[in-house]
Amino acid sequence: MNHLLIKKWWALTMVRRITIGVMSVLVVTLIYKVLYPLAFEFYVGKTNAPLTYSSSQELTPEAFELLAQELSRETRQQQAATIVATDQDPFARQVKIELLMNTPSVIKDSEPAHIRYFRDAGIRRYEGPKTCLQCHATIRIQHGDGTHATLDTLNDLVNSVHFKFQTEAGGFSTYGYDGRQVNSGAHKIPVGKINRACGIPGSFSWTGWAALIASRPEAQQDAIRLRSEGCGQCHIGGNYQPATEKMMPIGDVPNDAKEGIDCLICHATEYDMNQRYVIKDHQGLRWNQDRSLRSALTVGTIDSDTCLRCHQHNMGGDTYQHNVAAQSLGYINQRLLHHGAKRGNPFSPQDDVHAAAGMECTDCHVPEGHRIPRGRKGVDLVANDLPNKEVTCESCHTSAPHHQSRDKALLNGHVARLACETCHIKELTADNVVLRDWVHSTWNAKEGIFEPTDIYRSGAAGKGFTFLWFNGNGTFLANALGNHPDKTLNYNPLMQQVARITDPDIIATVRTKATELKQQYPEIDVDAYVTAATEPLSQLNPELLVQREVMIATNLSAAMNQGESRIYPFKLFNAMMYEDMSNQGAFGAMILPFDYARYYETGDSAAAVKVAIADPIIQRMYQEPFKRYMMDEFMAYFGIMDGWKTIYPLVNNQLVNVEAHWMRQMGTLMVNHGIQRQGHACIACHAPNGIMNFAQLGYSPERVAELEQIDDIVPSLNSAAQSDGQ
Amino acid sequence: MSAIYLYPRWVRIWHWLNAFLFAILIASGASLHFTGNSWLLDFAIARPVHNISGLLLIVSWFVFIIGNVMTDNGRHYRVQWRGFFGRLFSQGRYYAVGIFRNEPHPFHPSEAMKLNTLQQLSYLGVMYVLMPLLVISGGAFLLAVYLPDTIFGLGSIWVVAMLHLTVAYSLVLFVLVHLYIITTGDTVTTNLRAMLTGWHRDDQQETTK
Amino acid sequence: MLFLILLLMAAPLLAEPPETVTTNAACLRCHGMKTLAYRHPQTGKIVDLFIEQFAISHSVHGKLACTECHDGDFAHYPHHAETQQRSLSCVECHEQQDDAAKRHYRFTTIDAEYAKSIHATSAETEAATFNCHSCHDPHRFHASQIGDSLATIIHNDNALCFTCHEQARIKHAWLPNRERHWETVRCLDCHTPVTNAEQAVSHHILSAADSNHDCVNCHSKNSQLLNRLYRYRAASDVASQGWLNTAIFNEAYVVGMSRSAVLDRLALAIIGLTLLILLAHGIGRYRAQQRLLRKQ
Repeated sequence: MNHLLIKKWWALTMVRRITIGVMSVLVVTLIYKVLYPLAFEFYVGKTNAPLTYSSSQELTPEAFELLAQELSRETRQQQAATIVATDQDPFARQVKIELLMNTPSVIKDSEPAHIRYFRDAGIRRYEGPKTCLQCHATIRIQHGDGTHATLDTLNDLVNSVHFKFQTEAGGFSTYGYDGRQVNSGAHKIPVGKINRACGIPGSFSWTGWAALIASRPEAQQDAIRLRSEGCGQCHIGGNYQPATEKMMPIGDVPNDAKEGIDCLICHATEYDMNQRYVIKDHQGLRWNQDRSLRSALTVGTIDSDTCLRCHQHNMGGDTYQHNVAAQSLGYINQRLLHHGAKRGNPFSPQDDVHAAAGMECTDCHVPEGHRIPRGRKGVDLVANDLPNKEVTCESCHTSAPHHQSRDKALLNGHVARLACETCHIKELTADNVVLRDWVHSTWNAKEGIFEPTDIYRSGAAGKGFTFLWFNGNGTFLANALGNHPDKTLNYNPLMQQVARITDPDIIATVRTKATELKQQYPEIDVDAYVTAATEPLSQLNPELLVQREVMIATNLSAAMNQGESRIYPFKLFNAMMYEDMSNQGAFGAMILPFDYARYYETGDSAAAVKVAIADPIIQRMYQEPFKRYMMDEFMAYFGIMDGWKTIYPLVNNQLVNVEAHWMRQMGTLMVNHGIQRQGHACIACHAPNGIMNFAQLGYSPERVAELEQIDDIVPSLNSAAQSDGQ
Repeated sequence: MSAIYLYPRWVRIWHWLNAFLFAILIASGASLHFTGNSWLLDFAIARPVHNISGLLLIVSWFVFIIGNVMTDNGRHYRVQWRGFFGRLFSQGRYYAVGIFRNEPHPFHPSEAMKLNTLQQLSYLGVMYVLMPLLVISGGAFLLAVYLPDTIFGLGSIWVVAMLHLTVAYSLVLFVLVHLYIITTGDTVTTNLRAMLTGWHRDDQQETTK
Repeated sequence: MLFLILLLMAAPLLAEPPETVTTNAACLRCHGMKTLAYRHPQTGKIVDLFIEQFAISHSVHGKLACTECHDGDFAHYPHHAETQQRSLSCVECHEQQDDAAKRHYRFTTIDAEYAKSIHATSAETEAATFNCHSCHDPHRFHASQIGDSLATIIHNDNALCFTCHEQARIKHAWLPNRERHWETVRCLDCHTPVTNAEQAVSHHILSAADSNHDCVNCHSKNSQLLNRLYRYRAASDVASQGWLNTAIFNEAYVVGMSRSAVLDRLALAIIGLTLLILLAHGIGRYRAQQRLLRKQ
């Protein structure tokens, strides 16, 4: 009897225990999956909603077959055209193409593979990731060491830099001005990109994700034309904001946002860039995408064209002559093109020897699943999915790359000290921007918008770009680090090359520009303006200047002296922007973003800042949790050791302690594309007043004399070395 | 004549396997160390034999430890400190003097206590001090590639070698004494039979009763 | 007229014949470039023209000026093809040295040994171009010295062999503890015939089949290694540490060879003594037993 009671009691306890266990798991899941995302959305002031796209249309079986035929014919035509590409006479060419198109060997395999896949699976409508994942739920990838792994495709993508464009992982080659390698310690913060060229600096893509700008082109008598602008045009998420959730250590991007991922912009051979524009729905602004079945049926292997749909824009290549995406700006609300090249080294067959050789981006940037390497050397703070994977010239070209010239051995001899790019990028495009003033905008009559004013542009060596020692490390604000191999103390780019412009031509051009600006902005003091733009260190008070020199010497010398440096070309860039002076240090102050619409429409830069920083997430940034979570650490890397000041710079709609400044040094951007077969001639550098300033690079006066005068050994060199391409 | 069941089956099997491994290891170890002598094993044979037996000895040692934890055999190795030195002295005195005077054994194994104090002490030393040292140094030998270059400023492999050798010599010494002590039971074969059958027959116990 | 001006401009060049290069610095201005090299049009291999200043100045040829060996006209760039092609004979030059005849181990001996070696006799295509320089880079070669760290000697020596013998790892699969062997023994120690104690290791490199496979050649008290690798141990080292170990100490322990005489003797003595004591004890017990039986 007693036994039975005990048994009964025990069974009851077990039931109770199991119930409590299950309930607590359920509660935790509920909190994590439902309450936390809601609380997070509320906190950052962003919303999510199911996303729909008008181009996602269901086709009837008949329409599907028609489309299939059309696409196959197109492919066949392309194949045939490639075969007879060299035929000169257009008519003969056309006839041959038509002949070949109906030849069995060309017809064979001419149908794009996904037509059959979709036909068999009964797919008659493309609905985004959902459709792709039906077959591609997992992805088999190959690591650099040859081993394989099978990953969840969606998860792989959502955690890639292409989707979240920041990372809280280590692996940065970037060093804070406090001397610490970014995210190498225990406190890791999400960091991705500081882009002073686009006006939405730092991780402010929240405030500039998608904007509709009411432009007033003069040609249309001031009628309003809506234009699209914003970071979202290049980032593959289709949501109302970037993947903010990924900035937190827990939580995930909502499923709605994942459904907005644009697989086709990278994977479809024929993606309609005219579908890429900003649309407004009941929730707000977001980027439209091409979800047509036509596009989906052309999914194939990725080639350079697919990468360049975005990468010519965000590398600042809207103005490149051969930029294809820039020809398709949208059926409505056309995308705004950015004038002034950010790097000025296009990767098109006309501009780059590798592109001309038919090579593709992924030949060098060999992906592992959705992770694509940038290479181990990185001067800027751009997140890198595969920080340990090499992307180098040497991996293909070896350390003896020259074969044709009589001076091949001597040219190869330079490889120990010079990067290939140093000779083989002879110039950047002429519209390469060096100094950009965001504060004083200029009216662009043709586009009908106000734009930042480019104070100085040049693609010439020594002007638009300079030469610096580089060991693969960079600072938090993108300054190349490295040192002369003798570890000389004479080399100090942060006080010299990138902190001061001495070229009289440049100074004269800046003066002319400043004088022009003064007509529109009478408050400009031309002398002061020229000094600030060409000697940005003049904006520092003496105390900060001393602090700066000490910090360079004590904090950065280790990162500069690491490994073996070589001389690389670096595109120079500085911008005048509004800064939060409460958070100023020896290398600059926290830059503030602009609201695109207000900026482009009114040209009132201060007003554009006010709108942008009123965004809830910027307000959060100026609060204690955000300070603790990341901003104190961010500031330490920035060179400001006493933490982030949460003094919100907008009080009663007035900017408080906000000043317009040039960053205290120029940023240096790596240039690795736009490689020309024919490098610089020897005399370009080896002559007095050559393009390379040997003294500033830390060479002793005797060595400088030796380097500038090589006629004694090789009198015939000057013309000779020009005849080698490879 | 009384008989008590002193050695459970696993202990006996373990003991004889261990004895077998000891024999092989001593023979092959000597062959490696004094290589070149005609009456020793060939170097090329001795090496794998020694390595494999050594690995088996490691397993065997763990079996012993686990067996002692799992069963109550471990209690025989728990030192009873009360009267320890007295017992130690009387046992020592017996082997040094008493045994020649045909004095009775000062210790009678029982189920609670099968080892005399001297025995217990030497087994403790062997199984818990020398064996671990032997196993560690032997293992280090096998994994020599991964050793640091130096330990305490001496070449690490040399330290390992000397330790292994010293322990090996000590164990050879132990085996010799052990083999002899077996014969000091009531009859020459009493103890040997006990380890074979598990039953200890204590003749003297009965005669003195 | 134009011709005249050109001629006038060129006059200083013609008047002053280029100075002959006399210092290494002038050569090293180009040849000191770390990546001075080219891909050989026939073989596709990178031909390295870099001369490391530190290495050459610390090499056996460190005191020589470049032009003492390279005596062609190198003042011109590019160097004339004919000067570049001239091959340099090690034996010839070294036999011309004043002390050549007095040397223990003459270059003529090396030459004779080398002629028998597998490097010279092999029919493999890779061996066709083999010469002294294949192993001994005259711009960095320096003989191992007594007192050098054994590990360094072994590493440098073997690295040289491994640059060509990429298959060595597979072919030595039979060798127990292969990596350990390679860290502690030179390839040469097995792959050359035994030479007498005071002579350097022979240049007669043996084929795989003829090389030593017998463990006991090294793993024994009279190890061959004592005459070879370990002669680089400084005499003082052996003297001061010999009480612990017959030959060497510290850097390597060779099973079967590195016996500590003291430890061995001590241990065997103790074991012997114990056996005697046990024997005596046994006799004592036997007699006691006899006494007891007699009493009964």
